[in-house]
Amino acid sequence: MNWPLLPFLIPLATAVVALLMGRPSVLRRSLVAGSAAVQLAVALWMATQTFGGDRMVLGVGGWGAQLGIVLVIDLLSAIMLSLASFTALITILYGFAEARLSIEHPLRLPLVQFMMVGIQLSFCTGDLFNLFVAFEIMLIASYALLTLEVDNWEIKETFPYVAINLFGSVFFICACGLAYTLFGTLNYAEIAVRAVALGDDPRITVLALLLLVVFGVKAGLFPLYFWLPNSYPTLPIPLAALFGGMLTKVGVYVIFRLLTTILPHNLDVIHSLLTWMAAVTMILAVLGAISRNFIRGILSYHILSQIGFMLLAIGLFTPVALTATIFYITHHIVVKASLFLIGGVAAWLNRSDDLDRMGNLWEKTPWLGLIFLLQALSLAGIPPLSGFWGKYLIVKVALEEEAFWLVAACIIGSVLTLFSMLKIWNGAFWNATEKVAVHREDYRWRRIAWITVPMVAVSLAIGLGAEGMLHVARAAVDQALDRHGYVESVLAVSGKENPGLP
Amino acid sequence: MQLETAILVGIMFSVATYLVLHRSFVKILFGFLILTTAANLFVLAMSGSPEGKNAPIVLDAKAPMVDPLPQALILTAIVIGFGTAAYLVFLLYRLFLDQKTTDAAELYANSTEEP
Repeated sequence: MNWPLLPFLIPLATAVVALLMGRPSVLRRSLVAGSAAVQLAVALWMATQTFGGDRMVLGVGGWGAQLGIVLVIDLLSAIMLSLASFTALITILYGFAEARLSIEHPLRLPLVQFMMVGIQLSFCTGDLFNLFVAFEIMLIASYALLTLEVDNWEIKETFPYVAINLFGSVFFICACGLAYTLFGTLNYAEIAVRAVALGDDPRITVLALLLLVVFGVKAGLFPLYFWLPNSYPTLPIPLAALFGGMLTKVGVYVIFRLLTTILPHNLDVIHSLLTWMAAVTMILAVLGAISRNFIRGILSYHILSQIGFMLLAIGLFTPVALTATIFYITHHIVVKASLFLIGGVAAWLNRSDDLDRMGNLWEKTPWLGLIFLLQALSLAGIPPLSGFWGKYLIVKVALEEEAFWLVAACIIGSVLTLFSMLKIWNGAFWNATEKVAVHREDYRWRRIAWITVPMVAVSLAIGLGAEGMLHVARAAVDQALDRHGYVESVLAVSGKENPGLP
Repeated sequence: MQLETAILVGIMFSVATYLVLHRSFVKILFGFLILTTAANLFVLAMSGSPEGKNAPIVLDAKAPMVDPLPQALILTAIVIGFGTAAYLVFLLYRLFLDQKTTDAAELYANSTEEP
């Protein structure tokens, strides 16, 4: 059946219909919200279908795997699809609750849906060039969203984002060209087969390095991350949550997919390079977070620090470390997006997200403080919250590998994360200065605060039900590492009879 | 043909890098345009030496043919590059309108003064 088309066909159709509907209206809002809910349902259904170890494979247009583009959904893709659509659903609802219809930008919803097309397609695809196209869809939509509602002063922060991603795209095309000469194909499964046949040809390492640069830019790996911490804070809160939660993780997903399923497993140079770059990212980014004094800035830097944890675990490259990566990605997307949203509520109440101009929130709105604290401690990795389990596994594997410097980096990174979260806590919640007013009379804050509750609940569930989640993550890793199964199930797709040359 | 293309791609990449490192928006823009073209040319060169081969239109099934896939790829890449170039032109124009400068160094020099 054609099910693997659904994850990106639904947002595409929604975006087009929403564009044609023109002005923002209640009908248009309900269409987009309904579509986001359907996307989530489809993604969860796919996760249940693939949990047993099956893959959903579709040769698009009836072509065989050797000729056409294939779409492959395994458990890892399904997990990422579910996370993306969940984050999108919550942030879209938050946007509805926050802004009246009259001030909603008519292009925001269609562009968010176009961006979802790109994100979902990059999770589904089984072809390197198709991945390039998916990335471009995602990036062009994200450029447009960045500049859509930005003011005349902050517009300049978007230029580095656009410039670095243009560079990334150029390198990506070059990498596609190199992969094509090297393997004679761009299909993931066939690359996997032919890479083994090439043995330890150094050109594979060069290609992997080039791809690491490309996706390191997207993921925000040191030294390629400078574009992120200044550009994300210019976004409106719900979009910042979606960008911060999802976009960099697409880069992490692709690095994961490349190193586990597609390229050979013996690229030790790449793996150790990845761990060290990740460790440096972790430390430098958390120092950056401490240097900032407004909530969105601190959280934007934190994205990078957490990316460091994920990539470090990929670099360690044992099944347990890879399980920790998937667990960590799951935890991070939910927690990060919800922290952006809670920070948005706090900024809404204080009419500012500059920590010097905030305060009194614990006294006036204790339960908002409580959910912030839950998420912040989870980000720092306090047991039994969700962040702890991922970090615990990563540190455990690093100790087994006797990589003590990496362990030190992880622990320093975590402590500094806790410190910078306490900075927000002290500035916005605990601080009881007289002069800061808490605007509780504007009833909308309750509405937007309630919308963050499902995300907090999910992240609590991940932390308390860590065993179940680790079980799922382990199944996803086993499936991703099973290159033979992947190749077999993809190459089994045969097209219709070749028409034959005239 | 292969060697000449390789040299040309090398020259284009260095010219593009040189231009992108300038302060002026117009030079940065042209740098990017040349950069995408260089990348496309690079991918095109990956289809191998074209000497003694036909264009990928099947008229005679026996004659050797150039590998058509890189050409299909760059066709897509050109369209995407066109879209991003159009976006970049508008972004730089808006930066000029809002900040009254076309000099990148001037643009980011005073970024610490205001929040």
